[in-house]
Amino acid sequence: MTNAARPTPIAWLIAPAGLLFVLFFVLPFAVMTAMSFYSGNPVTNPNAFLTTRHYERFIFDTAGIFHEALWSTLRIGLITTVISLLIGYPLAHWMARMQSRLGHALVLMAVIAPMLTGIVVRTFAWMTILQDKGVINTTLMQWGLIEKPLPLMYNEFGTIVALVHIYVPFMVLTLTGVIGRIDERLEQAARSLGAGRLRAFVEVTLPLSLPGILAGSLLVFALSISAYVTPSLMGGTDVLTLPMLIAQQVGTSFNPNFAGALGVILLLVSLAIVVAYNRILARLAGGQGMA
Amino acid sequence: MISRRKALRTGAGLAAIAAVGAPSILHAQTKTLKITTWGGKWGEVMKATVLPAFEKEFKCTVSADQAFPFLPKLQVSSKNDPIYDVLHTNSNEQWNAVVEGLVMAKITAKEVPNIADVYPYAVSDKIVGVTIFTSAIGLGFRTDKGLTKPTSWKDLADPKLAGARGGYLIPVNSLGQAHLMMLGKVYGKGLTDLDAAYKALEALKPIKLVDFTGQMEKMLLSAEVSMGVIHDSGVYRYEGANMQPVDFASPSEGVLALEQVLNVTPGSKVKELAFAYIDYMLRPDVQKLLAEAVWYSPANKKVKLEAKYDAKLLTTPEKVATLIQPDWKWYNARREDIDARVTKILKG
Repeated sequence: MTNAARPTPIAWLIAPAGLLFVLFFVLPFAVMTAMSFYSGNPVTNPNAFLTTRHYERFIFDTAGIFHEALWSTLRIGLITTVISLLIGYPLAHWMARMQSRLGHALVLMAVIAPMLTGIVVRTFAWMTILQDKGVINTTLMQWGLIEKPLPLMYNEFGTIVALVHIYVPFMVLTLTGVIGRIDERLEQAARSLGAGRLRAFVEVTLPLSLPGILAGSLLVFALSISAYVTPSLMGGTDVLTLPMLIAQQVGTSFNPNFAGALGVILLLVSLAIVVAYNRILARLAGGQGMA
Repeated sequence: MISRRKALRTGAGLAAIAAVGAPSILHAQTKTLKITTWGGKWGEVMKATVLPAFEKEFKCTVSADQAFPFLPKLQVSSKNDPIYDVLHTNSNEQWNAVVEGLVMAKITAKEVPNIADVYPYAVSDKIVGVTIFTSAIGLGFRTDKGLTKPTSWKDLADPKLAGARGGYLIPVNSLGQAHLMMLGKVYGKGLTDLDAAYKALEALKPIKLVDFTGQMEKMLLSAEVSMGVIHDSGVYRYEGANMQPVDFASPSEGVLALEQVLNVTPGSKVKELAFAYIDYMLRPDVQKLLAEAVWYSPANKKVKLEAKYDAKLLTTPEKVATLIQPDWKWYNARREDIDARVTKILKG
């Protein structure tokens, strides 16, 4: 046996992760894709046949709800990502540049603390704050500032507020690591050469932190477009996303084949957006693809 | 002739085989019944009392799945070796299951003797399997908001309740689906008059929609809604808990049945035990225990409940006659169109 054919130690270390990826992503996804092209379950139903009708149902959308659900899913994902970035970046920058180790530890704990509570619990907490008889509306009505409750929940606004709260820590943690590795002296050098604080940030720190922005944004976007519990509880009649439709097809319409087709469509559209986003950021950074 | 050493070695070998084999032999003798059941208070009583007593009497073990939804799991398991022996769901899911051959079409008193004592609704032509309990779907309302007790389903459309009335996301909740059919009956020609139902649904906007009954209970208790579609159990179970200002009303047009249905999977390897379990669940003492724990109306006519339960639950032929059973076979056949239509009506 030659040395080239022998697996390297790194390959052995990567193997468990690769196996997990194949077992818990590639294989289920392949089964889901295969199911999406069948009329029923071919394992338990011998009459199941190959068909493209589930994709046709989505593409032609005679029901008039599927395209809107896809757009709604992507819109909520994009808005949540942008707001999480706007909130998360300054916080991550502050954390990364913090001199006090105790201060850094305390802020880190504050960022991580909400993640120790389940998503359902956090969503219910937002419900008690934003609903018509919630803390905000009740207080404003008691003070006589409003007569009718403000529409804070049962709509896209409430859904995005709760999603941002849930996913900001992912953005902050991703960005902190990247910004922390940027040599602060580069920014100091820019300033010593005459750049103002803002220009030094825009021309030095921000471009160098683009990999973090990309990673954090992709993480938050992926989590937001696949969110089910929060849009279901916060959205009321106004919000219908693809994950909600998928759960509906599996759990109450008992049509896993159409659910599979919706899953494949969501993944393909998301991948297209991710590739486009990657290229735009790479162009802004003046380099090649970043992920 | 067998030497002493050889005899000892043989004996030791047999003992070892017996020791290793014993658990599997014991296991083979103890049958396992795989069932589905609800969580919450129902699940607590089942796990603490009902199931241990069944296991003891029938010398078996019961494996109970409380992780809803059950039907998708049954759909992907082998029909010859199904994941469940007994499927406990509401009625509409049983109709979905029977279409795919996942449960039996009918169970009779021949297999389950206690069926002889149930009210007719429990085994009517609207039921696949056997109903063991039912709730009445009607209107829950706050008693502290100056509302008079509703007497008709039409009371939910009172303009005063704009934004303070509650319903369900119809594609995912059977109470919402049943309510839609009831709107057809109240405002149109009958339960299957969908055009009238859609029009009436539109008139209920603005309405707060939830996807499960527990959430409706929470909305009523927190006064987020003043009136909403709910089953009697979802209101009565809070009786005495901090004197909640919430009550249940049975509209004059009738209440909708929310049946708790048990059925056996055709491929079950322990079918006799499965039938015995359904029979056990229909016994008057078991029915009384569960009915009083969660405020469900028992299907067995012979059950005698305590006075406070008897007064409110459907325990006489006259009260049972107010139950309206939706035709889920009819509904499920039109489900895709209905889902799309109501989603568009209620959005925005």
